Amino acid sequence: MNLAGILNQNNLNRQQRESVLGWALILPAVLIILSLILYPIIYNIYLSFFDVNLEGGNTYIGLDNYSNVVFDSVFWNSVYTTILYVLFTTIGTTLLGLIVALAMNKEFPLRGLVRSLILLPYVAPVISVVFAWKFIFDPVNGIFMDITYEKLGMFSERFNMIGTPEYAVWVAILFSIWKGFPFAYLMILSRLQAIDATLYEAAEIDGANRWEKFKSITFPEVYFVVGAIVLLRIIWNFNKFEDIYLLTRNVKVLAVYTYFKAFTGYMEMGQGASLAVIQFLLLIGFILFYVKRVLKW
Amino acid sequence: MVKNKSFLNRAGFFLLVMAIVLFSIFPFIQMLSTSLKYQWDWGNPSLIPTQINLEAYKELLNIGQGEVELHESVQNLIDETPDITKAQKKAIIAKFRDTSSVFPFFRYFGNSLILATIAALLSVSIAILGAYSFSRMQYKGRSTIQRGVLFVYMFGGMLLLIPLYKMFVSLGFLSTKTGTFTSLIVIYLVQTLPVSLYMLGNYFRTISFSIEEAAMIEGAGRFETIWKIIVPLSASAIVTVFVYSFMIAWNEYLYASVFLRGFERLHTLPIGLQTLYYSKNAIWDRIMAASMLTAVPVIVLFMSIQKNLAGGMSAGGVKE
Repeated sequence: MNLAGILNQNNLNRQQRESVLGWALILPAVLIILSLILYPIIYNIYLSFFDVNLEGGNTYIGLDNYSNVVFDSVFWNSVYTTILYVLFTTIGTTLLGLIVALAMNKEFPLRGLVRSLILLPYVAPVISVVFAWKFIFDPVNGIFMDITYEKLGMFSERFNMIGTPEYAVWVAILFSIWKGFPFAYLMILSRLQAIDATLYEAAEIDGANRWEKFKSITFPEVYFVVGAIVLLRIIWNFNKFEDIYLLTRNVKVLAVYTYFKAFTGYMEMGQGASLAVIQFLLLIGFILFYVKRVLKW
Repeated sequence: MVKNKSFLNRAGFFLLVMAIVLFSIFPFIQMLSTSLKYQWDWGNPSLIPTQINLEAYKELLNIGQGEVELHESVQNLIDETPDITKAQKKAIIAKFRDTSSVFPFFRYFGNSLILATIAALLSVSIAILGAYSFSRMQYKGRSTIQRGVLFVYMFGGMLLLIPLYKMFVSLGFLSTKTGTFTSLIVIYLVQTLPVSLYMLGNYFRTISFSIEEAAMIEGAGRFETIWKIIVPLSASAIVTVFVYSFMIAWNEYLYASVFLRGFERLHTLPIGLQTLYYSKNAIWDRIMAASMLTAVPVIVLFMSIQKNLAGGMSAGGVKE
């Protein structure tokens, strides 16, 4: 039989078949995502207008959940903490990632080993590294108090850094930078390696110094990837829960505050749902501000 | 002069690299060090233990824990008090030998392992089909689906936690062990699916279509092509995606902490460790040893896929 003939004969059919098969293959994934991500989000918005009762019916209470949340000063505190956290962790991870990427782009002995070692913070499970961090800042045994109090005399007494909310947030920020910088570094490094080396040679011939080379060659080349990293980091850290909650329960960013509201004490799930909606809206606002004002896309 | 400057440059660079490495690995060194120290040594800032203490690891791994030694004073008390009956003696000894308060490391490890493995396997299998569909086939609605998958990144765990919890409670899943386990598997599956779809889709696009075409001209169907050509050719990408999904499930705390409340026997390692930390005093050595044992499998897995890592991530599919 003639192959071309068969293909011609079934031409229309084949396209339809392809379409059906294409949908059939993607369908399981689409169904799972629709039922376990899209539907719950809509359901969450629905729940935010109700007094939620786990055992039985929900009572419609209009905007009461929202007003209860918004007129609570604790809420505004956690908005402030969240913005502080997102701002400093984003700047910190990106800057450190950039510096490390620039350093790792140079040749030096044992570079392979060093590159592997600095991935460890990113790789290790949060739950296993938080305890080491707690220990470092432990008031009795920790090395931080040993250096700052015993050796440098910076504080008048040993105290619990992680137990004091105004200091704990900075420990959480440092922890997040430590955990997140390898990601930024990897992304920036792979971009750096793609830069054409002749550009630098040409600049050197023109007598450009190191800073000028960075400003007019390196930076424009990595600008896009840095912008993308910052965007991802804002999204991730705005929603961050585990890295903060497991390290300290004293830093009440929005996600931690919602968790306490919805799953401890009175288990105010309706208020929790409205908090989650507010948090999502704030994130959208934050992203729009970043994309329009900072990136100017 | 020139020589001097380049020496200073190199020394500065060396110091910078040292600082970066130290910053990255110091907490791990601290973890290892404390896990090997005796309690009286904890406050000592030196990272090298004065005397090596392996008790924490032995206790967690259940080595030599068969018979708990009775403390001398207890033994004396029993021997020197003549008016207690044999039954009472037995009860006292049993109480001192009770090991149920010991951290059940293996059970938690097993729970985490089963959960993460099943979720990652399902995620990769469904993603292979889906990613093949949107990287290789032409049909209406394809690009909408692709973009929709990306959009999922925007939603944090907290936005989905309350509705999912309420849904699974209403369905009655959370009243049985199997139901609870299943619901967590499904949740981990959906958390890792977008990443898997995206990473695999990007990889499949790099495979030349002509090989597949040849197979199809030979008369192979689509499924046969996927199984015999696409899967073997992208084995390394599939392993990478599997490890990635496995890690997301292995590390997960938020959902596990809420869903597993009713069943202590189902607790995963993250939950177990957190409970251990808050339930007992003076356990730094055991906490650190358990942390080491939780981290090592993941680190080994990750290092094994490190080569593929940078490429896979920059190809677009990333989730923390």
